[in-house]
Amino acid sequence: MTNLSRVLRILLWLVVSAAIIAAFILSVRVTQPDFIKLVVAAPKARQILPQLFSPELFVRQAITSTMSLAFPIPCGSAEVGQPAESGPRLLAQPPCASAGETFRLRGENFPPNAGIKLSWRLPDQRALSIKRIATDGNGVFELEIQARPIAATKDGKPSSLEVETSLPEGALRPSPTLTEVVNAMFVTVFMALLATTFGTIIAIPLSFLAARNITYRGVLGKTVYFITRSFLNIIRSYEPLVMATIFALIVGFGNPFAGVLALVIVTTASLGKMFSESVESIDPGPIEAITATGANRAQVILYGVVPQIIPDFLSFTIYHWDINVRISTIIGFVGGGGIGYFLSQAINAFQYSKAGAALLAIILVVWALDFLSAEARKRLT
Amino acid sequence: MLRIENLTKVYPTGTVALKDVSFQVEDGEFLVVIGLSGSGKSTLLRCINRLIEPTSGRILWDDIDITAANAQQLRLIRRQIGMVFQQFNLVKRSKVITNVLSGRLGYANPWASLLGIWSHEDRQRAMQALERVGIADKANNRADALSGGQQQRVGIARALMQEPRLILADEPVASLDPVLAHSILQYLEALNRTDGVTVICSLHFLDLVHRYATRVVALKDGVKVFEGLPKEIDRARFKEIYGEEAEEVRATAVEVG
Repeated sequence: MTNLSRVLRILLWLVVSAAIIAAFILSVRVTQPDFIKLVVAAPKARQILPQLFSPELFVRQAITSTMSLAFPIPCGSAEVGQPAESGPRLLAQPPCASAGETFRLRGENFPPNAGIKLSWRLPDQRALSIKRIATDGNGVFELEIQARPIAATKDGKPSSLEVETSLPEGALRPSPTLTEVVNAMFVTVFMALLATTFGTIIAIPLSFLAARNITYRGVLGKTVYFITRSFLNIIRSYEPLVMATIFALIVGFGNPFAGVLALVIVTTASLGKMFSESVESIDPGPIEAITATGANRAQVILYGVVPQIIPDFLSFTIYHWDINVRISTIIGFVGGGGIGYFLSQAINAFQYSKAGAALLAIILVVWALDFLSAEARKRLT
Repeated sequence: MLRIENLTKVYPTGTVALKDVSFQVEDGEFLVVIGLSGSGKSTLLRCINRLIEPTSGRILWDDIDITAANAQQLRLIRRQIGMVFQQFNLVKRSKVITNVLSGRLGYANPWASLLGIWSHEDRQRAMQALERVGIADKANNRADALSGGQQQRVGIARALMQEPRLILADEPVASLDPVLAHSILQYLEALNRTDGVTVICSLHFLDLVHRYATRVVALKDGVKVFEGLPKEIDRARFKEIYGEEAEEVRATAVEVG
């Protein structure tokens, strides 16, 4: 007998191990992890990551100055531009060219290490951007430029080469990105606050109906108990992301209201469940004692149950606000509004520096709320 | 006068907690219910104010059939029956005064009480109740900041708020240090002697029974095995109630006159 059970146990052990190994093989096949790709794609990552990690939060006001040099294409179609006598000056070598030829442009006496935007100013005053470069330590730059046919002289008016120097100066100011991020973050935090508030208000009565020790008596009570429980369980099984997508379809993408609606439902479901468990775990003694005084049901709940559950309820609510901020950063991605929506738009527009600012804001706010909610909950018990 | 007639309680699990128990309690008595743990003492007391629904049998109180009362009538009956519990059953996080006031819920305006509004008379009554049990200075403390003996006195003050004609005390001193037993029971005795409140109290220790009971009912496995005066409980009766292996233990070494 013992031998048989021993054999059975070994057999069971083998079957379980085989099942676990099979599950791992299957999961590798399905997810196709490709570590080589991770290495091969490094240049791509090198392009994105620096931008992501250098969010543009503050900018200096820049003083820009422009200087230009007429450049006839082809030669003789207009007068060549003359370099300035002193100060910053531009020299073209040769000073004119035929379409398609290349020439060298040299700038001297510019501010050292300054950013320069180089462009064609076409005869019709349109600008055609060429390149962004920077001057060296001596304020000099030199590069080769192709004389583009589009820059050809027209009606005796030549195109000019235009150099725009911008020098950062003055105090640091919050960048437009930072302002946008802060605004979007406020939207997210308030979304979470509103959703938590409404979710809590709905969850409180539901939690009493779903608490065995309060509702579960008589046929009516048992029916209400099971319906409420099932309702909470069913809506809990829907992911906030799915719900936010549906609501975004209804009220519009990027509308924070979609996110709020999704979060209210998620909050109701999960707080309803947590609250009801808290109600179920209270000390039944005071309920018994207050019932014995001849109090009615509402009085028993208010004097015997409520004081016992207030710390739990507050603590769960604060905790859920914290969770909601975290979720709402994500549901923004599917059109729920707030910082998540901002982030998804920045990524879609390849503005990784903006995306980096959004990520930084999310990390900071989530960390801060996590800390605050932990502190607040510590004080409650 | 309280008449218990053929009271039987069978729990849904099939446990028979009380089997055909009948006895009478005259007004002004201090009736003590004794028996081992699980003998049905708590069930009996809770059947009287129907915190537990009896399976069969009747409980008559001055010709009012408690067992037949509807919800509204039951609340009016309950508010005249104070109850004191082994575990005090205070709301630990609430203030002492709030716990005491909750004893008045059966009389208070339901809407005002739900808003936490109490009349001046009720507040005064609560302070008087606390003074009577000697802890008026603790009124604004949280209930769980008090010692066990003090918490039980809050429990008595809460019962006093009901202006009860009957007090049910379920092992009121079993969770307390034995030396505190008399201090609590003396409050109940004073209520019984000076205010004429009928007391039905379950107790463990025989010396306490001899000291406080005017009459005794003993339960064993849900069956009434003895009813009579405390002095009638001799060794033979004691073995009958508590079983052959039982030895008498004294609650306290303090000698009481």
